Amino acid sequence: MDTKSVQTFMDHPLDFFEESVTTMHSIRRADLEELQREAMIQRFAEHRERIEIVRKLADRLGVTAVDKFDDMVPLMFSHTAYKSYPPALLDNKRWDLMTRWLDKLTVYDLSQVDVEGADTIDEWLDRLEAQTPVQLVTSSGTTGTFSIIPKDEQTTIEGMHIWKMMVFQTFGKEPTDDELNPVVDVIWPNYSEGRFGMTRMVPWMKREFTGGDESRFHALYSGAMDTDLIFLANKMRAAIARGELDRLQLDPALAARKDELIAMQARQATEVPEFVTRLTKQLRGRRVFMTSTYNLMYNLASAGLAEGVRAAFAPNSAILTGGGAKGQILPEDYMDVIKEFYGVRIQEGYAFSEHNGVHFACEQGRYHVQPWVISFLLDPETSEPLPRSGRQTGRFAVYDLINQSHWGGVITGDEVTIDWSTPCPCGRTTIAIEHGITRFSEKKDGVEDKISCAATHEVQNEAIDFLRELGS
Amino acid sequence: MSTFTVPMFVRGQLITDNLVAFGTRLDHSFHAVDPAKHVHTLALRNPAAMADLYAASLEEILDVLQELGQALAFERNSYIQEAYEACLVSNPMSASILRTGYIALPALFTRETMRELAETQVGIDYLEGWVPRRLLDGREIRVRAFGARTLHIPAGNGGLVSGITVLRSALTRSDAIIKAPSNDPLTAMAIARTLRDIAPDHPITRHLAVAYWKGGDKAVEEQLYKPENIEKIVAWGGLASVKHVTRYIQPGLELIALDPKRSATIIGPEAFESEAVLREVARRAACDVGAGNQEGCVNARVIYVLSGTDEAGLQNANRLGELIYESMMGLPDAVSTKPKVVDRTLLEHIEGSRITDDWYRVYGGEHAEGAIIVSQIDEPVHYSTMLSGRVANIVPVNSIEKVTDAINAYTQTIGIYPESLKVGLRDRLPLFGAQRLTSLGYAASVNFTIPQDAMEPLRRMCKWIVDEECEPSRVFPLWQTPDAVRQAVSAH
Repeated sequence: MDTKSVQTFMDHPLDFFEESVTTMHSIRRADLEELQREAMIQRFAEHRERIEIVRKLADRLGVTAVDKFDDMVPLMFSHTAYKSYPPALLDNKRWDLMTRWLDKLTVYDLSQVDVEGADTIDEWLDRLEAQTPVQLVTSSGTTGTFSIIPKDEQTTIEGMHIWKMMVFQTFGKEPTDDELNPVVDVIWPNYSEGRFGMTRMVPWMKREFTGGDESRFHALYSGAMDTDLIFLANKMRAAIARGELDRLQLDPALAARKDELIAMQARQATEVPEFVTRLTKQLRGRRVFMTSTYNLMYNLASAGLAEGVRAAFAPNSAILTGGGAKGQILPEDYMDVIKEFYGVRIQEGYAFSEHNGVHFACEQGRYHVQPWVISFLLDPETSEPLPRSGRQTGRFAVYDLINQSHWGGVITGDEVTIDWSTPCPCGRTTIAIEHGITRFSEKKDGVEDKISCAATHEVQNEAIDFLRELGS
Repeated sequence: MSTFTVPMFVRGQLITDNLVAFGTRLDHSFHAVDPAKHVHTLALRNPAAMADLYAASLEEILDVLQELGQALAFERNSYIQEAYEACLVSNPMSASILRTGYIALPALFTRETMRELAETQVGIDYLEGWVPRRLLDGREIRVRAFGARTLHIPAGNGGLVSGITVLRSALTRSDAIIKAPSNDPLTAMAIARTLRDIAPDHPITRHLAVAYWKGGDKAVEEQLYKPENIEKIVAWGGLASVKHVTRYIQPGLELIALDPKRSATIIGPEAFESEAVLREVARRAACDVGAGNQEGCVNARVIYVLSGTDEAGLQNANRLGELIYESMMGLPDAVSTKPKVVDRTLLEHIEGSRITDDWYRVYGGEHAEGAIIVSQIDEPVHYSTMLSGRVANIVPVNSIEKVTDAINAYTQTIGIYPESLKVGLRDRLPLFGAQRLTSLGYAASVNFTIPQDAMEPLRRMCKWIVDEECEPSRVFPLWQTPDAVRQAVSAH
């Protein structure tokens, strides 16, 4: 395979596939695998050089080069790699040491960033973003800490561009100009800004979908999803588990914002009905792009239907949902309720923050893995790779080739099924994950070490309630 | 054994019909008598039926229990063998450690041990009759410890817990209903069946019931957990199981919570006096971590070392970590093995720490065999509450204040080296919540005669009843209160 095309594939996959979803998912499996393998070899060599933690792991394992897909498995990270710092560093505002920790996880040099005087976690992260190309996403855990994933500007731009392609194009058809350059309003049933989880995507989404026109971006809540507040919520949960809530230290900077946060929480009571009205009245007939998790989509839909109203967007609108039920028990007909209320094409996607790319479900309900993501199934107990043939169920792991800012090897907490040998009847040639995806922790009745993206609203409220009680 | 059946034992009767399937925590299933169909037979509705327990002297009870102990010998008792086999598929503990527990079971029932337990925790005189005392105001009191109708929810980590439950009940002349744990579904049953073989009509057999239901099964628990059926609940185990019992607690139904605890270790700077001392300290600490594969609340998890956090201090802490890991790998199979079940999330956190070598050194753990994580700052790992399966965290500290900060009501045992440090700390650590201070290396060496979880369970299991005798010539009679005072009282 010629070097130039491998390079384009791994650095600019959209150019490589000419911005066509159909081309992206029609590449011959054998050709794709060869392309992936070559890109993997190159990306590993580059990241081994540039990411300290990858180099150390490879050195410890005695790996200097990779060749076969399975060579990558011992080098993969689980979610813990992105939250392995001692949380005391955050409590003590040791941004210098936190920066040093994060520096080892990314190709970018963070050592020169001036973090002097930052007062909150988000201020520290803002400094890093202002002075380097990193774009930082935080996400939650239950042990009193949270993960920080160092993406960069290029991946966020390309990532959103892929979203746009995927939600508006139709597989098997040449993309029209209207699909390539849609003009839409964005509906965002979430906080209007933030650093935490999906809220970090807000500016990226605005850039891609509304061209920066704020009037076309419709968020449910006016507040921000702060990392500092989520950190407090996480610490509370951990302190309760240890029986030491009484010893929880509250950061004065956060305590000072108590009234502001309580006001934000109070506004939410009116924001929900206002939002339903905006959806069903103001945006009637408009072409929209909307994205949210199943449970938020469902909650809004059932609230609207109960009021006897429904959305009536332009037929060429696009809605993307996913994220599992996330702890909320949804009725069996939840998708019917969602479809009835929103009335337009609804697509389902599967994603996780440690890698780039949402994998969209086809008409058969199977999630087709984007071509730049190499899929692996691992034995859930031993983490040994399962055969890449036949129908297999195991722990899902990926090597994401276009990850340029951080390491692309990720072991997920999800159990998935892949039929490696039988092509999907939908016509796409890419690897297809069957629809039923479960988290191992849910299966085992065990402790979930992740507060899901959908649960964050409640978690944030817990922290605000705690602040309120402290003051009274 | 791939599956097994759990009968129900109701006061000498064995019920084996109406079987339904249940799952264990290890993806196995077993059959047990349908609790919903038989729950009404479990309780002793008529408290007067406990009178027969008082017709037997303690010596007679000890005779039966002693015979029971001898009959529980692992090699000879097929019920116990079956209980062991059931644990092999339902319990995360490995075979050799489970076996150790069963081999130790008869020793609980030796006469001197039982007498020591009764005498130390209650006082045999109080169990056997009315103990008189004259009070300053002239009254004669006589106090006796009575048994109670008690439901037990024992932990499933080893057969000894079921053994001590039966023993405590018999010594206090209680009526016992034991809810068998899913991870040890047959040990209490085996003891009950052995008891029936030896003494089918003895009151202690007739006041013992053993059944399995799924913890939290409202259909069973709402019917059974009522003051008219039981007076006390002794609940061992995890937060969830103890917490869900609390909803049934009300006047007339008391909870004795042997609730979830974690244990810690404190090692003084004396450990680093010589290589020989350090090796001895490491061997002892390894035993506190690894014994019973760290399944117990007594096991060490976070090990505070007063090594200091300067470079020399960290070097010492790391060396200790390396030696503890080595010693742990060398523990005898009867005490500790490679864990059968490991927490996957914990392993992921260990790998996270391993690659974060600015802050942590990790010894072992690459094959889920156990690991020692040495913090390179004076803070435990953020996942310290997950430590299990022979994984401990060494935390070097500069001063003891850092340690006391970490002790709370969830802290059960603290293993301490050297003894002088323990003496220096013993008046302080309890203020923060510590409940048992012991010599390093003995955390997992449990003697049931001592107080447990900051109380004496045997004493709590008793109802302390008083008979007062007030002779008006010695005890001032209220009815002779002078008028003025009387008026004041009534006006008030």
